Amino acid sequence: MTAVGVAEADAPSPVSRPLPLRALANWAGVLAFVAALCYLVILPLVRLQINAFSDGARGYRIGYTDPAFAKTLAYTAGLALGSLAIALVLGTLLAWAATRLPRSLRMLRVLPIFPIIVPAVASVVGWSFLFSPRPGYVNALLRNLPWWSDLKQGPVDIYTLPWIIIITGFGLTAFVYLFVSAGFQNISSEHVEAAQVAGSSQWGVFFRVTLPLLRPTLIYGGGVALLLGLGQFTGPLLLGRNSGIEVITTDIYRQMSASPIEYGAAAALGSPLLLFGMLIVLVQKVLLGDQRRFVTHGGKAFRSEARPSVIGAVSIIAYSFVATVLPVIGLVIVALSRFWSAKIDTDHFSLQSFRTIFAQSSVTQAIFNSVTISLLAVAICLPVGYVASSILLRGRRFGVLRTILDYVVSMPLGIPAVVFGAGFLLTYTKAPFVLYGTNWVIVLVYITLMLPFAVRMQTSAMLALGSNYTEAARVSGSGVSGTSLKIELPLMRSALGGAAALMFVLLTHEFAASLLVRASTTQVMGTILYDQYNNGTYPLVAAIALVMTAVTAIGVTAAMLVGGSDALGGL
Amino acid sequence: MSHIRIEGLTKHFVGKPPTKAVDDLHIEIEEGEFLVLLGPSGCGKTTTLRCLAGLETPSGGRISFDDQVVFDAERRINRSPDKRKIGMVFQSYALWPHMTVRKNIAYPLRARRLKQGLRNGWVEETAKMVDCVALLDRYPAQLSGGQQQRVALARGLVARPDLLLFDEPLSNLDARLRDHVRAELHEVHGRLGFTAVFVIHDQSEALALGDRLAIMRHGRVEQYDTPQQVFEHPISEYVAAFIGMDNRVVCTYQDGRWAAAGRPIGGSELGIAGTAPVAMRLRADDLQVTPCDASVGANMSSLDAVVVDAEYGGRHLDVVLDANGTRLFARIPSGVSDSWARGLKQNDPVRASFRQSDAHFFDDETGSGASDIAEPVLNAVDS
Ligand SMILES: Nc1ncnc2c1ncn2[C@@H]1O[C@H](COP(=O)(O)OP(=O)(O)O)[C@@H](O)[C@H]1O
Ligand SMILES: [Mg+2]
Repeated sequence: MTAVGVAEADAPSPVSRPLPLRALANWAGVLAFVAALCYLVILPLVRLQINAFSDGARGYRIGYTDPAFAKTLAYTAGLALGSLAIALVLGTLLAWAATRLPRSLRMLRVLPIFPIIVPAVASVVGWSFLFSPRPGYVNALLRNLPWWSDLKQGPVDIYTLPWIIIITGFGLTAFVYLFVSAGFQNISSEHVEAAQVAGSSQWGVFFRVTLPLLRPTLIYGGGVALLLGLGQFTGPLLLGRNSGIEVITTDIYRQMSASPIEYGAAAALGSPLLLFGMLIVLVQKVLLGDQRRFVTHGGKAFRSEARPSVIGAVSIIAYSFVATVLPVIGLVIVALSRFWSAKIDTDHFSLQSFRTIFAQSSVTQAIFNSVTISLLAVAICLPVGYVASSILLRGRRFGVLRTILDYVVSMPLGIPAVVFGAGFLLTYTKAPFVLYGTNWVIVLVYITLMLPFAVRMQTSAMLALGSNYTEAARVSGSGVSGTSLKIELPLMRSALGGAAALMFVLLTHEFAASLLVRASTTQVMGTILYDQYNNGTYPLVAAIALVMTAVTAIGVTAAMLVGGSDALGGL
Repeated sequence: MSHIRIEGLTKHFVGKPPTKAVDDLHIEIEEGEFLVLLGPSGCGKTTTLRCLAGLETPSGGRISFDDQVVFDAERRINRSPDKRKIGMVFQSYALWPHMTVRKNIAYPLRARRLKQGLRNGWVEETAKMVDCVALLDRYPAQLSGGQQQRVALARGLVARPDLLLFDEPLSNLDARLRDHVRAELHEVHGRLGFTAVFVIHDQSEALALGDRLAIMRHGRVEQYDTPQQVFEHPISEYVAAFIGMDNRVVCTYQDGRWAAAGRPIGGSELGIAGTAPVAMRLRADDLQVTPCDASVGANMSSLDAVVVDAEYGGRHLDVVLDANGTRLFARIPSGVSDSWARGLKQNDPVRASFRQSDAHFFDDETGSGASDIAEPVLNAVDS
């Protein structure tokens, strides 16, 4: 056995690996990692609270003695619950419809995700172009109908709560769709076939078998959608403020735009959302328990190939048309027009708006910033998420550190971006790291916001892989890093591509946190769009919104090329 | 190849309740020996194997490969898996789906930096040995179960490890393929003579494969011996039951003679020393079923019973009997179509007889103390 002489060389002294030292080094490494993430995620929130409680809890007094506060709270709850209801029903039905697509129409599966690809600011603006009471295109069209012909405005008023709820619900539907589609993967087709054989109709199967089996997924996805609904900012800010519809997030923004900035009041207003978010994260952790219990091996995924249905395809296409295509049509019309009015003047359509925005260095700089900052944040988030997932799944020995890590990386999902924006502004305008006015503060807030996605998606990919492949590499003589690089990462390629795509998309759209931490010199696409919207230069707004959408689409395409065509399906 | 020594190996799992998966295990494996770890599910076989591989950190004990200590709880030595010269074949094979068969097999050579192995064609050589040269440029997803199994074996063998570990690698194959692969494995081992530990829960395969068997029970080794010894002289009732002695009859000493299942035994008297109750263990095919009036052969003992059920199994009949409340299982030749045995019906009275040398006796309460008729049971009961 001279062949393995190399490996034997380090053998003779058996004391060569003193276990405690290595373990200590590991501990120190994990401690540093968790501490850094705590600094990033927790410190801004703590600083906000300190501010809110200082001066005899002045922040809380200002925030909660405002007579309008009760109404704000009611609007917030109404928006969250209403949009949640819409999203749950639509998302579940669409996910089910997607499983019933005929083989040739499989591609349609990705359509319901598209509302995530169109930036929220862009689609909200697009909706307002269509349904604004007076100049809204669809409203104008509807007024041609005989029974509405006497109306001067309407019939739809996008600036009212029900419509804000509907529009928000469309956006959340995509998220529920993602979760539920993943849930369908875990239902064996045999369960469904057994019910069909037992004599249930399609709908019977859906209500008696599929839906109950999906319950854990719906609880999880519903929890996330509820949190997102509570943290909604763009819709209420752009559509609700003029008609006096304030929700907590817009109220926070109001306090943050006051002069001097009312950090304390903003923090105090954010507290209910903060507490509720942490509560939901906690409950989900307790309910789901040890993730390793959910490892599923092989098994036939849910796929009812037997009876594809046309209704599935029709409903997916209809939903996509309404939720994705319609607002984009609104944007295109306005972007091509010289100004926004109810009458569409096709004769004077031109690309002038695009020329204008590309001639403005502020806009091109903002596009550049958005793309580079997002890419940087994704590039940092992926390895951070990989390390965090590895510790979460295999680091039982790190005990309490692991538990802390688990909560820290989940928290940004439960807490609205506006709150983080406020916290980061407060934290990074002061020592020791004065980063305000640089792109770095945006990078940091973006990393924070994406942590849950980076970790969760990689964790599930690792769970799905199981431990066999990596163990086989270890016993074949591969070290820890070699195993990660040669075995685990290549096998996770499509999951990583999917995670990168999702994060890039969400970040190039990011609006709420960006709006708070930006400086006049550090703008991103969303903030520059908002400035133009406030100026009332709508064709430019529309053009920027379309550019944003295009950037996102390019990012998604790139990720799909890297991660394989299933990258998005793996979301 | 090397000599493996396991001393006092212990592994606890924290949890509710805490488990002692491996409990003070001592095993020595000779160079080139094929050791089979046998035992029911949950007795700690996989955990033992993973401790050997370094995939699991034992709570205590010592493991050495030749004179190289790879784990020692006291001296805090714990070599990681890649620092032990091992190969492993997993139950699921764990062939990396993103690599071709060739890359899969070559991986241990690359990982262990055995350049000369790569240069001298060890990959092809090993592939040839397990008959999968033609598959080298395929991906694992394009292989059948049996082919994947062989590739996994080649991957385990290619770096010529000191020790090759197998965790139930046959259990995902269908019965016929399993026999085939098992025979191949036996042959390859005969040719190469590597040291191996093979985990299995099926006793018949264990007998065929192993140079030695370690029968495990609750994380300990119950019996450690050659297949012949284990088969012919199980040291405890647990082992006897596990290797197929399905019949258990309680024998008691009553009125100066032995009774089985509460009734006096027919034929020759059981040669058991002492008077404490014993449990008799018998294989189903060592039990003969005859009409009640047939004579009992020399050195045979018998019990009266009634038929509960008879199942046709081709060459044999599986007959379930009831002897005064004790179930007996007999496997008897099915004979010609008009034989007496084929006519057995429920509640038919029959006589079940057995050779004394086929019966094994154990202490009724502890199941311990193997004692054939030749060895008085008393010794064991005392221990
Ligand atoms: N990772 C683990 N955590 C907790 N208990 C475990 C773990 N792995 C195995 N066990 C327990 O250890 C015992 C032995 O398991 P194992 O070695 O897998 O048995 P076998 O391979 O013989 O079926 C079982 O009781 C099992 O439940
Ligand atoms: Mg096992």
